[in-house]
Amino acid sequence: MIKDVRLLFAHEVRGSLRNPFWLLFGVVQPVLWLVLFAPLLDGLMPGGSALRDFTPGALVLIALSSGLSVGYGMLARLRAGVLERLAAGPVSRAALVLAPALRDMVVLVGQAALLLGLAALMGMRANPLGVALTLVLVAALGLLSATLSYALALTARDENGLAQLNATLYVPMLLLTGIILPMALAPGWLQAIAAANPLYHAVEAGRALFAGDFRDGSIPLALALTTGLALLTLRWAITSVRRLAA
Amino acid sequence: MSDLIVEATGLEKTYPVRRGEPVHAVRGVDLDVRAGEVFGLLGPNGAGKTTTVRMLATLTAPTAGSARVAGHDLLREPRRVRERIGYVSQAGGVDETVSGRENVVLAARLHGLSAREAARRAAELLEVFALTDVADRPARTLSGGQRRRFALAIGLAHRPELIFLDEPTTGLDPRNRAAFWQEIRGLRDGGTAVLLTTHYLDEADALADRLAIVDHGRVVAAGTPGELKRRVSGDVITLRVPAADAEPASRLLAAQPYVREVGGDGGGLRAYVGDGDSALPALLRAIEEGGLRVEAISLRRATLDDVFLRQTGRSLRDAA
Repeated sequence: MIKDVRLLFAHEVRGSLRNPFWLLFGVVQPVLWLVLFAPLLDGLMPGGSALRDFTPGALVLIALSSGLSVGYGMLARLRAGVLERLAAGPVSRAALVLAPALRDMVVLVGQAALLLGLAALMGMRANPLGVALTLVLVAALGLLSATLSYALALTARDENGLAQLNATLYVPMLLLTGIILPMALAPGWLQAIAAANPLYHAVEAGRALFAGDFRDGSIPLALALTTGLALLTLRWAITSVRRLAA
Repeated sequence: MSDLIVEATGLEKTYPVRRGEPVHAVRGVDLDVRAGEVFGLLGPNGAGKTTTVRMLATLTAPTAGSARVAGHDLLREPRRVRERIGYVSQAGGVDETVSGRENVVLAARLHGLSAREAARRAAELLEVFALTDVADRPARTLSGGQRRRFALAIGLAHRPELIFLDEPTTGLDPRNRAAFWQEIRGLRDGGTAVLLTTHYLDEADALADRLAIVDHGRVVAAGTPGELKRRVSGDVITLRVPAADAEPASRLLAAQPYVREVGGDGGGLRAYVGDGDSALPALLRAIEEGGLRVEAISLRRATLDDVFLRQTGRSLRDAA
């Protein structure tokens, strides 16, 4: 299986490098948030920490938006008969989703690094170790969102269905992270719902890490939650591939 | 050790349908494909050809029945089967994000060839299929005919003993079709067994060493194209008569000693005869003496369509 993952991963990377523009497009949206929205927060939160508090949110945002879109690539591959053709060979079923998901993870971490560079240029100062650990968290989020997207795509097997599922997921996930406005402003019931959103904890953990507050309980919680969920969605995605081609 | 590369018995596939009757895509198919031959599955769309091939290629589990493919049990050792077969679906399965060559190399490497062997094998296949010039272009820029040839090259990357080709020439123009037929014959000459599905009569006739005609999930006839056509008869005389005369004309035809069988209706009565050239004048005389009117008459050699017609009562052209 490891050999299959390695071969397919190299194949995925080659495919991505042939179409590098799409990789850049993935960062455009969070860059716009960073440039056009973060300055607004400066007015709300004087003291210059607005950018530092917003950047982890922007990282989670790319994990969500570019992660959820990878399923379309899987559907294109399904339609072209590529998955079926591979499945008629002795290839590991797990490798068929794990390899692209690892590629997505690497792409996401690259995009995150780009975004961090931009934030630094805009004057953000954050704890370097905290930033490094946040990238680990981002990698786990990448695995989670990519495998979730593959599982949804292979279950729905329909581009329109996937688009609707994505739209339905995206809005509550985004609003309930506290990226736009702090959840502290929310009434109790809304905070309770947000606590069930893994992305909310990821944003909280990212903020604590950026501030260098390593004892914050949200950090282990976010890491454990994200990794645990990522393993579940990975399993779901592998099961969907198996169902597709027993 | 048998020389059969596919030995299928009683293959069935039933798909459950929510709030409805289950769909019986394949209702009991027996197939014997010999090593190194081109075997055709001929039938209209929806006859169960693709489902049969997908079962034999380990892609979907049969509801009932069993099969040995390339020397291994389909259900117990699917992995062993997968190592020995190639599969080219109607969609082709060429990954458009990379070049055609990379597709072939990846397929070879996933089958265990080393990087160097895979590169050599890819170069060899691309040469055979005249794809060397376009091998490094992004696959999405290829023409339909080139894509088909790449799909075939990908399926052959690991030198399978048996390759499944599902509707390999659907959508190709006549020139590319003829070239593709040549390539399939080349495979057989190289010792690879080919199991192909088609709804084209001429394709089955021209390519298949032996074939099975399938309809509604069952094999309705099997044999070499020649055997099948002989079984129907040598020649077919088709007559068009006014609707009112159809009944008496049919009876008259059946009464002639040289007519072996009668089929069809007023729109096209068919008389199957051994030797059409001598039967035609005799038949015309008989019709004249019987006082019947004929609007049109024609004589042709029996085709696989006549075999299908006789087995199912429909023409393959209409059934598709």
